[in-house]
Amino acid sequence: MHISEGVLSAPVLVTGALLAAGGVAIGLKKMDYEKIPEVAVLSSAFFVASLIHVPIGPSSVHLVLNGLLGVLLGWMVFPSIVVALTLQAVLFQFGGLTSLGVNTVSMATPGVIAYYIFNLPIRKGNNSVSALAGFAAGVTGVGIGAILVAIALISTGESFLGVAKLILFAHIPVMIIEGIITAFCVTFLKKVKPEVLEVSK
Amino acid sequence: MKKQNKVWNMEYGAGTNCSLARNIFTVRTLLLSAYCLLLSIYLLPTVAYAHKVSIYAYAEDGMVFAEGYFSDGTRTRNSLIEVFDAKTGEKLLEGKTDNEGKFSFNIPKATSLKLVLHASMGHRNDYTLSAKEVKEAMGIRESGVRSQESEVRKQTEERSSRLSKSATPMTIASGVSSAEIETIVERIMDRKLQPVITILLKLKENSEKPGLTEILGGIGYIIGLMGIAMYFKSRRKG
Repeated sequence: MHISEGVLSAPVLVTGALLAAGGVAIGLKKMDYEKIPEVAVLSSAFFVASLIHVPIGPSSVHLVLNGLLGVLLGWMVFPSIVVALTLQAVLFQFGGLTSLGVNTVSMATPGVIAYYIFNLPIRKGNNSVSALAGFAAGVTGVGIGAILVAIALISTGESFLGVAKLILFAHIPVMIIEGIITAFCVTFLKKVKPEVLEVSK
Repeated sequence: MKKQNKVWNMEYGAGTNCSLARNIFTVRTLLLSAYCLLLSIYLLPTVAYAHKVSIYAYAEDGMVFAEGYFSDGTRTRNSLIEVFDAKTGEKLLEGKTDNEGKFSFNIPKATSLKLVLHASMGHRNDYTLSAKEVKEAMGIRESGVRSQESEVRKQTEERSSRLSKSATPMTIASGVSSAEIETIVERIMDRKLQPVITILLKLKENSEKPGLTEILGGIGYIIGLMGIAMYFKSRRKG
């Protein structure tokens, strides 16, 4: 899901960078003192998750965890992901520094969407409802992310439908695994430390 | 339990000055991050790595052999490779990798070649073969360009004439030309060096995987950034 350096054209890169900067600014504004460690821990989790390769499927894909981060962090998913992506680009050469903005937008936006749809049912619903909502959040995170990557790649001349299908297809195993992980994490956190699920408005 | 939680919640929500709540929180955070670390270390030897493509190429016998792979070692199957003239940027040819991520082609032009690998989903990397490497590969065997070929022949002839002039006539006297010897030696060398090249490629591949240093370094950066963020937020609060 990381778009490499030199693939996208300048206007797409600039648009991505501006959108990402906006998201990060909103996220930083919403981030209060008590939430900082959580943002950092989840940032680390995201950073490491990209190393966990999912051996099923036709291509080389890995865990993303953006659905989980989104549900737990809301808009703060932007600063959390931008830090992790920068480090991945510098240390692992995943993605690239010029495509950082686009990659941040394509992975953090689904997180914010997952937050608005699934945070409430996870907090207020009974156990099975929150597990289901968690699963859906994990699936949404990767699914919408794949669609956003496809949109970004249109500018390279690849047909949108072709790429979208390819990326979605390649990520089906990841979507399911992420769904399960997210469902497990949110139900566990809800039992042990429910205030983690609350995000200040 | 529920009540306790509620009380704790209230303290936590209302009393940012309550050091107890904060202490509990930091301890829990530390435990969580330690758990994350341990988990990542535990997973290290078994997981494979993904999400970066690499391409490597070498020229030999008038051909270029290219190989593409993801950082977890998976080959880039059926991916587009474009070949450019590295100096002018002109596109010379393109082709797709086979099931083992390999792609080979005859050298189209005696110049520095830039190979660009497009794996699916926005993955891309390139590799440049130097003009010297390309020319050497073209000059050695018949499959190369004629002018190169004749140059080599002239050189070998010169060498052999020099050799025959010298005091000890060596093997040339026995009817084997030095060009033939060269071919034979090369063929044997090729055969002997093949495993070595494979090992070198494997090593190169492994060295590109992110190691423990990078992972721990990255987590360290994040913890450091967390410290900075907390410092500034706490100062603003007064």
